[in-house]
Amino acid sequence: MNPETLAAVPARTLLERGLEARIPLPPGDRPLVVTGAWVDAGDPIVEHVRDRRIAEVDVKVAAGSAAVTAPVVGSRWSPPASRRRNETAADGELLAPLPGRSDRWRLATGEHRVQLSSPLRGEVSAVVPGAELRIRAAGPAIRGALSAGASAHGPLELATDPFGELRPGGIDVGRAGSILVVGSRIDAEALTRARAMGVRGIVVAALPGKELRDFQASERRQRASLHAVPPFAVLALEGAVRRPIPGPVTTILERLAGTHVALLVDPPALVFDEAPDDLPLPDPDWVRVRGGPHAGLEGRIVGLAGPRRYAANVQLDAAWVAADGEAPVDVAIGDLERFA
Amino acid sequence: MTEPATEVRPTSEGAFLAIDHGTATVAVALVGRVAGAWRLLGAAQAPAGVDESSVAERLRGRLADADPELAAAAGLADPGSTADLARLRCTTERPPEIAVVAATRRVAGPLADVAATAGWRVRQVVIDGAEILPVATALADPRIGAILAGASDPPGADERSLLAELGAVVTAAAQRRPDLVTVLSGGLATPGGRGDGILPDRAGSTVLAPSATAGGGAPLRRVLDGLRAGEDDGRRALATATATLAEVLRRGVEVVEIGQSGATRALATWSPGGGADLRWASVPAAALLPAAFTDAHLDAITAWLASAPDRLRVRDRLRELSIAPWSDAAGDGALLRLAAARAALTRLAAATRSLDAGRQPPEVLVASGGAWAIAPGPAVGLALADALRRPGVRALGWDHARLLAPLGMIEDPDERRVVVADLRDELLLPLGSLVLPAGLRSGHPGRLTVRGEGEPVEVELTPGGLELVDLPPGERATVELTFRDPVDLGVKSRHAAAEVAGGLGGLIVDLRDVPLRLPDQPDRRRDLLAAWQSAFWAGLDA
Repeated sequence: MNPETLAAVPARTLLERGLEARIPLPPGDRPLVVTGAWVDAGDPIVEHVRDRRIAEVDVKVAAGSAAVTAPVVGSRWSPPASRRRNETAADGELLAPLPGRSDRWRLATGEHRVQLSSPLRGEVSAVVPGAELRIRAAGPAIRGALSAGASAHGPLELATDPFGELRPGGIDVGRAGSILVVGSRIDAEALTRARAMGVRGIVVAALPGKELRDFQASERRQRASLHAVPPFAVLALEGAVRRPIPGPVTTILERLAGTHVALLVDPPALVFDEAPDDLPLPDPDWVRVRGGPHAGLEGRIVGLAGPRRYAANVQLDAAWVAADGEAPVDVAIGDLERFA
Repeated sequence: MTEPATEVRPTSEGAFLAIDHGTATVAVALVGRVAGAWRLLGAAQAPAGVDESSVAERLRGRLADADPELAAAAGLADPGSTADLARLRCTTERPPEIAVVAATRRVAGPLADVAATAGWRVRQVVIDGAEILPVATALADPRIGAILAGASDPPGADERSLLAELGAVVTAAAQRRPDLVTVLSGGLATPGGRGDGILPDRAGSTVLAPSATAGGGAPLRRVLDGLRAGEDDGRRALATATATLAEVLRRGVEVVEIGQSGATRALATWSPGGGADLRWASVPAAALLPAAFTDAHLDAITAWLASAPDRLRVRDRLRELSIAPWSDAAGDGALLRLAAARAALTRLAAATRSLDAGRQPPEVLVASGGAWAIAPGPAVGLALADALRRPGVRALGWDHARLLAPLGMIEDPDERRVVVADLRDELLLPLGSLVLPAGLRSGHPGRLTVRGEGEPVEVELTPGGLELVDLPPGERATVELTFRDPVDLGVKSRHAAAEVAGGLGGLIVDLRDVPLRLPDQPDRRRDLLAAWQSAFWAGLDA
C-alpha cells in the first residue's frame, strides 16, 4: 500500500501505553499512596469522606514542641492527644485560615469514611491533595469515547457478539464482579440491572444520550445513599449512535476475555492489566467506516479517490475501500479511520 | 517619484505552506510566487489527526497534474518537494479554564464577561453567600489553569466585609496549586488601595491587571489573552490578519470565525492616515459545540433545522460531531453543521456586543473557521445574514482556504501587507453583497434598481422576504433602494444608493425582521427555513 494513501486517513491509536488514570481527590479525602508508589488493582489508594463538612480548629503549635512547623494548605491535621480532647473533633485536611487569623483554620473533615481501591495496576504519577491522584497504567489501554460512573476493575467477559444488544433479562447474578462487553448498545434499564446484579462495568460500542442521562441520574441517587456502593462504570467505545464494536477491538477483547481489566472513567478507557506482548493488531491498510452511509463497514483501503460529490451536493476527498471481496466503494476520508 | 518596494523574505523555491492547525481539522494552503506575486496554488482540509505534510503533498500532486509548468516554476514538480517549503503555521488549542473569583455577583459578572471573551472557559465563584467547601473544591479543580480575582476600585460597600475571605480562599488555592497563575484585577491590584494586602502570602505567579471596566474591558482582555495561548495562537493571528486585510482593502473588515473549540470575532476599521483600528474577542462559549453543552444549545440548533428533528437523535448526532468532527459531513450532516454554526454565530454576536459600541458595521464581513468547511458559498452567505442582523450594505467573503490566520503569523507588518495584498483576490471567496434594511413596515413594499454591466434590473421589495439578484463574482453594480417610509440602512432614509460587488450568492436583499423572528409553529418555521435554504444551496436534495 502506498504510504501516502495511508497517511491521508486519520489514524486511531488502538493500544495506548502509559495512559494516566485520574482519580478525584477532593478536599478532605486522604491519599493513602505517595508519588512513585506502585499499586495493584484493589490496593487502597484514597480514604474518601462521604459526608464532607467544614470544621474550625485551632492549629497552635504546643509550646516546647520539637516540630514547630507552620500549618500548610492541603496538609493533614489531627486533634492533639489530650485528656480534654473534644469528642467532636476529627482529623481532616487544612483548607484555609480564617480571615485575619493564622492560628484558626478551616478543616475539611467528616465522619463516614470509606477506602477507595485502585482500579488498575500502575505507578502513582502524581498526588495533588484536594485535586486529584494520577496513576500511570502498567498495561496497554483502549480509549473510549465517553464514560460514566466510577472506575472499576474485574475479569473481562464477552456477553454478546459485537453487533448484539444486551437486554435486562440477560444479566443475572452469575455475572457479578465482571466487566461485561455487550456489543453495539445498551439501555439504562439494563445498566441499572447490571449494577444491581453486582456487575462492575459495561463496555459497549454506543451509548445514546438518553440512556446516559438516565443512568447518570440513577448513579447519583445510588451515590447519595447512606451506604457506600461498589464502583460501577459504563464505557462507550465509539459514541452515541448505534454501531458495532470495531473488528480489531473485538479481536483484542476476545483474546483477553477472562483476564482482569480496569474500566476507567477519566479518561474513558479500558486498561488491560494482564495483557501479553503479542496482542493481535490489524494490517496497516485495514480501515473502518465510522460515519456516513457505510458506517460500520470494515475493509482494506485500495487507494485515494480524489474529491467526490456526496449527498446535499457536498464535495469531500474520498478513498476506495474494498470489503469482503466486494467491488471497492468510495468513502469520504473523514468517515474513515485506520488503526495504528 | 517611486518608492522602494518592500522587501519580502524569499521562501524556498518561491513557495510556502500556510497551515492552520485547529482542534478538529487542519487546513493547508500552498502559496507560490507566480509572475512576481504571491498566488494561492491550492488548499485542502483534513481531520486534525492527519499529518499536514501528507495534505501538502496531495496538493502538490494535484497542482503538478493540473498545471505541470506552474508546478515546475514553483519548484513543486517532484514528489516530496513540499517537505523543504517554509511554513507559516498557527495552532488553535482547546480553551483553558479560569476561575473568576469576586466578593459579589456585581463584581464577578463583568470580570467573567471579559474572561469569556479572552478565550477562556469561565467558572464563576462568588464569595457572598457561598459555602467555603464548594469554593475551595472549585478552585482546587485540576482543570482550572488560572484564577482571576477582582474587586471594585475602590471596593464597594457590599464587598468590603468579604474581601478578607476572598483573600483567604485565593491565597489558599495558590498555595495548594503553585502552578496556578493568579490574576488580580481592579481594587486588588491597586497598590495602597483597600484591597491591597489581602493577599500577603501569594505562591506561584501573580499578574496585576486593570479592572474589567477600564477601557471597555480591552486592557484586561489583552492580559488574559496573553496568558491563554502561545505565540502561534491561531485566533490571535486571525485578528492580526484582519487588521492587515483592512489596510490592504482600505475598508472596514469584520471576521467571524467559528471553530470546534471556540469562536473569534475581529473588527478592523480603516481610516486614511490612521491605519487600522482593531478590536477582537475570542469566545469559547460560541464554539460550534461548546464544552458545557446544554438543552438551550440543543434548542438553538434545532430551531435552525429545516427538517423535523427528533430531539434525542439530534443530541446524539451532535455528540458524535463533538467526538469525530470531520465524520458524517455530507447530507443531513452538512445541514446539522450549518445549523450549529448559525447558533454559534448568534452566541458570538451576543457575547461580543461591546465591540460594536458606537460604531457602524464594517463594510466587509468575512466567514472563517472549520465550521463552514463543507457548505456551499451561498449557503454560508445566508447563514451570515441569518445570524448577524445589523442593518446596512456589506460585502460578504469567505476565508475558504483558512489562509487568513497563518498570514497573521508573518511578524513583519510590511511583509504581511505585501503578501495579503498579493493574495487579496484569492484568500477571500466572494459570496456577494448583503443589503439588510431594518424598520420595514409590512404592506409597504419598496423598490430596488440594480445597475450593472447589463440592463438595469428592477425588483419589488416585499417586507419579510429574501430577494436574490444574480450578480456574478467580479461584477460590480450600483443599487438604488426606494421605500415609502424611512428605513435603517446604517442611516435612516427613504432613498439609498450603494455600490455592491458580486459573488457566488449574488446580491442578497434581506427584508426579514431585525432581529429575525421565525414563526412559533414548528411546521411553518421549518417550511420557511427550507424555502430560504433551497434558494442558496444548489443540489440540496441530491
